[in-house]
Amino acid sequence: MPRLRSNLHFVFLAVAALCPLLDTLLPEQLRFADALRPIFIFALLGLGLNVVTGFTGLLNLGAAGFMAIGGYSYAIATCDIYPFQLGFFGALLMSALTGMTAGILLGLPTLRLRGDYLAIATLGFGEIVQSIIRNLDVITKGTQGINPIPAPILFGYVFQPENYLPWYYLFWSILTVAVVVVSNLERSSVGRRWISVREDELASACMGTDVVRAKMSAFIVGAILCSIAGALWVSYLGSTGEPGNYDFQISIIALCMVIVGGLGSIPGVLLGALVMIGFNSILLTKIAAWINSLSTVSSTNVLASPNNWKYLIFGLALVVMMRFKPEGLLPAGRHYHRRGK
Amino acid sequence: MNDTEVLVQQLITGLCNGMIIALIALGYTLVYGIIELINFAHGDLVMLGAFMALTLVAFFDLNGASSGPAAWVGLASLFVIVPAFCAGVNWLADRLAYRPLRSAPKLSVLVSAIGLSFIFVNLGLFWGGLPLELFGGGNAAAAPKDFPGLIGNTNLLGAGNVQFTYKDLLVVLITLPAMGLLTYWVKFTTMGKAMRAVAQNPTAARLMGINADRVISITFMVGGALGGLASVVYALYNNTIYFQMGYRIGMDAFTAAVLGGIGSLPGAMLGGILIGLVRALTDQYIATMWTNVMVFSILILVIIFRPSGLMGAKVKDKV
Amino acid sequence: MPLFVGNYMRSFYLVLILLSLPLCTLNSSAETIKIVSSLPRTGSSNAQTSSIVNGIKLALSEVGNKIGDYSLSFEDWDDASPERGNWDPSTEAINADKAVKDPDVMIYMGPFNSGASKISMPKLNQAGMLQINPGSTWPGLTKPGIGEPNEPKVYRPSGKITFYRVLPADDIQGSVAAKWSAELGVKKAFIVHDGELYGKGIASVFKKNAAANGFQIAGMEQTDAKASNYRSLAVKIKQSGADLVYFGGTTQSNVGQLIKDLRSSGYTAKIMVPDGCFENAFIDSAGKENLENSTYITFGGIPGEQLVGRGKEFYETYKRTYQSEPEAYASYGYEAGRVAVEVIRRAGKKDRRAILDAAATIKNFEGLLGTWSFDENGDTTLRVMSGNIVKDGKFEFAKLLN
Repeated sequence: MPRLRSNLHFVFLAVAALCPLLDTLLPEQLRFADALRPIFIFALLGLGLNVVTGFTGLLNLGAAGFMAIGGYSYAIATCDIYPFQLGFFGALLMSALTGMTAGILLGLPTLRLRGDYLAIATLGFGEIVQSIIRNLDVITKGTQGINPIPAPILFGYVFQPENYLPWYYLFWSILTVAVVVVSNLERSSVGRRWISVREDELASACMGTDVVRAKMSAFIVGAILCSIAGALWVSYLGSTGEPGNYDFQISIIALCMVIVGGLGSIPGVLLGALVMIGFNSILLTKIAAWINSLSTVSSTNVLASPNNWKYLIFGLALVVMMRFKPEGLLPAGRHYHRRGK
Repeated sequence: MNDTEVLVQQLITGLCNGMIIALIALGYTLVYGIIELINFAHGDLVMLGAFMALTLVAFFDLNGASSGPAAWVGLASLFVIVPAFCAGVNWLADRLAYRPLRSAPKLSVLVSAIGLSFIFVNLGLFWGGLPLELFGGGNAAAAPKDFPGLIGNTNLLGAGNVQFTYKDLLVVLITLPAMGLLTYWVKFTTMGKAMRAVAQNPTAARLMGINADRVISITFMVGGALGGLASVVYALYNNTIYFQMGYRIGMDAFTAAVLGGIGSLPGAMLGGILIGLVRALTDQYIATMWTNVMVFSILILVIIFRPSGLMGAKVKDKV
Repeated sequence: MPLFVGNYMRSFYLVLILLSLPLCTLNSSAETIKIVSSLPRTGSSNAQTSSIVNGIKLALSEVGNKIGDYSLSFEDWDDASPERGNWDPSTEAINADKAVKDPDVMIYMGPFNSGASKISMPKLNQAGMLQINPGSTWPGLTKPGIGEPNEPKVYRPSGKITFYRVLPADDIQGSVAAKWSAELGVKKAFIVHDGELYGKGIASVFKKNAAANGFQIAGMEQTDAKASNYRSLAVKIKQSGADLVYFGGTTQSNVGQLIKDLRSSGYTAKIMVPDGCFENAFIDSAGKENLENSTYITFGGIPGEQLVGRGKEFYETYKRTYQSEPEAYASYGYEAGRVAVEVIRRAGKKDRRAILDAAATIKNFEGLLGTWSFDENGDTTLRVMSGNIVKDGKFEFAKLLN
């Protein structure tokens, strides 16, 4: 059933839509649906990165920078200490616009760079954004972060923190829209141009593709998606948190999501987000809670706390996954991958 | 201190820091040059090297009573054992994590490197929890560890305001010969030639009878050994090590490698020293909080105007 | 189904196995009151957190984990993540939501970092859940007119006070530190901070109080906790001619390195640090020879071995039970635990509202550091501050500050 396989992301989304229902059947300790919300947001981030890195083959190590820009724009657009105080969708639009602007500003000079030089330029961009946000405390409140962010109000309904369901379906719908848009883009002429640039830039240029323009369009779409992810993240937290939360680690996690899922594969990104974020926020939390409930005396031995093993398990899982599934869990089937040289 | 003295002092500081960065950057550039992998775990390998050095200090009791020739031998042994250890770890990493992925997509190898970096960091955390006196008895595994000041802080320039201490001298005495040796090795030995051949075209090199896997393994070991050397210098120079220290030094060294032109040995050295100087001068004349912005802005500017870094060869994309 | 064969099968199994590991259910009864703590467990803060959690557990075990018909159950949650190696805003948000959703959870202890408090406070406030805090000291969390203009009411969407803290805020500590500096004869101070909410906050208070205490500020710099060294900053400080360096931040902000670099650049003057550095890891990381008789530490409270009466009892019991010296914040963990017990006892029922109302009635509480009450902002009236120095490689109590 090749149709089903290429539309696997919609299967995932459908299952996700039913998760809260399934959740009510589970005993208290095993409930997980509310912890899926960050996964939706990170899936959106991964989706943006997938357009840039997966479809177009540009290694981007600055996803967190775009996320920060989107998040802070959303915060500035909504928070009552600033003069704007836009509604949810207005603020979302604003963060998409600032994200897009940042994408263009970064892309214009750097998109002509070769392979990994572009990667380091994006890495530098991520670091610069983080430092600037930290230092410009007149606007960004520095390390305090902007908070609290007012809860979204949609069609007169105020989102309450204690009821996760409205949030859940809000994020789910935005992710679904993004998935539809990106999967249509992939099949459009723009998407085919992206993929041709990835597969062979020179051949693509010879066939008449404006390579820099194709790269730029991918960069812009990626920047918008990452910024929206940032905006949702901030609305979910109710605060931007400190600028250090948008550091290189986030970019790395996002990149791992895309590659572990399968570069250039939309269902892969969704699965990658589930595995990478779910591993930490659902699985390890449950295991740690379980182990902690077994022992009554907290030991000072570094090996005794399950949390101290997180990095090791995480790292091993990445290495093993790449060892046995180097193409990712759900590789993009119809495209031919080869080692970049 | 008058203004000139301050400037001279900052130049010395920047140069010494830069040379340590350069030594680590060489590890990135070597590996990148041969398999085009940004080895994200390299900074954390340096961290493991520093923990190995601290363990050896405890083992040889260098901090305690032993002095005279015994202490010198112990100190010298750090410069042998730690690089050997790091070379071994890097060899193992290549064997287990990278070699099986030789024909896999490039980015999968990158994820493996990220995974290894997480593993190294966690091992560093456990290592810091060792029940050794020097490690704080296992109580505070994550806390920064004090690395004893085995190298004196005596000013070699007499009683003046400008300081050039034994520590600074150590950095120069270790890094410069190491860079010289490496350059000689890559340029003039058979293995170095084989390495350059594999870097240029692995398939052609194989056809010429070069065992590419072995060459890559050796490259990893040399890169690791340089990282090990850097970790000892780093520990003796800064006197603090902790399990997350690989992040910043790795980032700096990686930036240095790219700044100089990734794949180019003199480029990595130049890039490292440049970053050290930019850091020191920004700290002094602008503000510490803007140092990172400064470093990365210069990086982006340089690669926009010189798309292959300062000393990188102009590479035409292969057709 | 071709979908589930070959490559896909392996991936699905992998995910399935990953997600099905913790298949174990725990029982909870209607008679159980759950208290949870949300403190950073992953990364550098773990030792301090263990100490706080031990303190809380000690307080709960004193009443046999039982109040009236209710048995108390305590859960120790982590608000840090391995990617960050420090507290993580999303984990803190998840913890707060989880606590709100769990009908058994009556009291939320923590978090430790002020930045994290900003995230959980509004969530818990809306749900009317009592939050007892043993670690966050940013004044704006409770006190109007010190932080942002909209603080603290933005954290209280319900208009009620739900956040109570058992330790003095940084506005007190920072000003006490400035006063102590003047007493030590300081004429010119250089401020360095780590840019975190806590470090920058306390450094700003110190700066604001300098002029009133008759000394100058030679400069203020923000450091990067991840830097390899601070040699160039040390040169700059030396050049400024300051006779005291005030550091705003915690041990985890690499202050040990800064002190080493100051000393190795030949700078011999005084160094003052706040309670975020009041742990043995600080002495270990800076090297005791660099601190000896020249380092001053302020702490909102009194070190364990200096406590008298009930405090001394706690110190002894702690050492006996856990076979280790309590870290600085352990006593606040214990104090928070005792407040929780008292609040539940006064409320007498398993009801968030009743328990919240009971917290406001805590007055003249017999604590470790003397008798104190919660004021109208939910802050402790306690203002005991101690000054400590490093002597013979150990912290030594120097004097009471106020």
